[in-house]
Amino acid sequence: MSYDKRNRMEDLVIFPGEQEVEKYVYTPGIHGLEFAKGLKEGKILGMKCKDKIYVPPKTFCPDFTQGELIEINDEWILVSYTIVYQDMYKNNLPNPKIIGVIKPKNAETGLIHLLNVPLDKLEIGIKLKPVFKPENERNGTINDIKYFELS
Amino acid sequence: MGVLMSRVAIVGVGWYGFKPTTIDVSFQDMMFESSARAYANAKIDPRYDVDAFVDCQEDMWEGIAISDEFAPEPIGGALRPTFTVAGDGLEGIAHAYMLIKTGHFNVVSVESHGKPSEIKTLQDIYRFALDPLHVRPLDYVNPLFYAGLDAVAYMKRTGAKREHLAMVAVKNKNNGLSNERASFSTRIDLDYVLSSSYSIYPMTNYEIAPFSDASITFVLANEDYAKKLTENPVWIEGIGYSTETGTGATEWHEWGKMKSFRSAALMAYKMANLNGNPQVDFAEIEDRFSFMELLALEETMLVKEGEAHKMLEKGDLNRDGFLPVNPSGGSLSMGVQLEATGLSRLLEAYLQLTGKAGNHQLKNVRRGLVASWRGVPTYTSMVALLSV
Repeated sequence: MSYDKRNRMEDLVIFPGEQEVEKYVYTPGIHGLEFAKGLKEGKILGMKCKDKIYVPPKTFCPDFTQGELIEINDEWILVSYTIVYQDMYKNNLPNPKIIGVIKPKNAETGLIHLLNVPLDKLEIGIKLKPVFKPENERNGTINDIKYFELS
Repeated sequence: MGVLMSRVAIVGVGWYGFKPTTIDVSFQDMMFESSARAYANAKIDPRYDVDAFVDCQEDMWEGIAISDEFAPEPIGGALRPTFTVAGDGLEGIAHAYMLIKTGHFNVVSVESHGKPSEIKTLQDIYRFALDPLHVRPLDYVNPLFYAGLDAVAYMKRTGAKREHLAMVAVKNKNNGLSNERASFSTRIDLDYVLSSSYSIYPMTNYEIAPFSDASITFVLANEDYAKKLTENPVWIEGIGYSTETGTGATEWHEWGKMKSFRSAALMAYKMANLNGNPQVDFAEIEDRFSFMELLALEETMLVKEGEAHKMLEKGDLNRDGFLPVNPSGGSLSMGVQLEATGLSRLLEAYLQLTGKAGNHQLKNVRRGLVASWRGVPTYTSMVALLSV
């Protein structure tokens, strides 16, 4: 349509720009704060919504009711997994990342986290356990759990 | 004709780009290009003949805050009713459909575009979309890992093998060879894909759609105007959209399934007064990850659960098969155009139904299904059922 495109790389001018994308504070929310405190103590909290259990807890349930905080002491099961070999720009990673969805046995859903499991043992349904960082290194974030490994 | 009875049709379309880079045009230039072509195609003047304008874009993709303020002028909508849907273009089509159904709008245009070539930190923008507390801090590197988790769970549930995922890539990459918009089409065979290394297990780079720049504009009209404006209206029989879990709650997702496709499809089929399988002649279905084509076929109920990979193996989904799926080459061949991806698939379906698909034209097609997803890390899907 436009008849005035320039057609020569040499004529192109670009204007670089940046977005301020890293300078936010995030409030964890009412149950999110309890979840964070739990991690610091080496505990994983979930929530009960009527007869269903969800991890991590939010203040609200998928059916729009309010959730009740509970401590998870169930064994953990691998729901699915993947291995990331490359970044989005197709560069190979020096150490591929094994990532899984891990849920307490009786829960509907679970956490996304890193796995420290040998590739030949990696299978949906295997039993896992969380491995926490030493107490003095925990700061109430998801990375207080180092990874999940075979239980 | 009563307002509620009036059908809604697509009466014109324009597109620009579908290239990995579009270096001599700005995103607004692209919007202007596709829109000018769409209005020429529908033989209308947007300054007089279009009653409302819908635009679909996202601030983070544009690198501009409040980017909807950049929408009106390049699509002909300055000082006219214009609004932005921060979602896939097919959601914009659903909004245009609703506006027309109110009876207050006769002709509505919908534009969407994506210019990923200008985003220097695409991986970081994706990362920024993840839950800031539970997921973003983890050392996963590539946010597209979500697709790997769904692929492995899907394969376990249905018995589809890695070979089937590779077969989707072979079919779509080869289909694209006859489509001028399929920049990433290539002549590959199964051995070639299977001998490539994984990018995100269980998928190689042939099974993960790359990105491309494009702008697409559609013109929709009510039945009276459609008949005046074109001899080849394509009717929107039904359209639906649904979100399973927002990106702030992806841990609640049912892995290996795509419930939002099912809800969106049921919404569209209900609108078309259909129950279950709508018996379409072809489908343009989500395939930005190879397994998604199989999953989306099952969740939209075009095929029975667990059957998609068997049909693929038999050749049923080939261009000359029983149910041609992605005759255009799909997103694996055309790329992902961010929020315009759904419109790129609608464009292919529209061209097929009007007999204008060129070298990849199917014979005797009267009804087609379009199904699109907003991509990782969302669980939002859109489905449209079209006919002539």
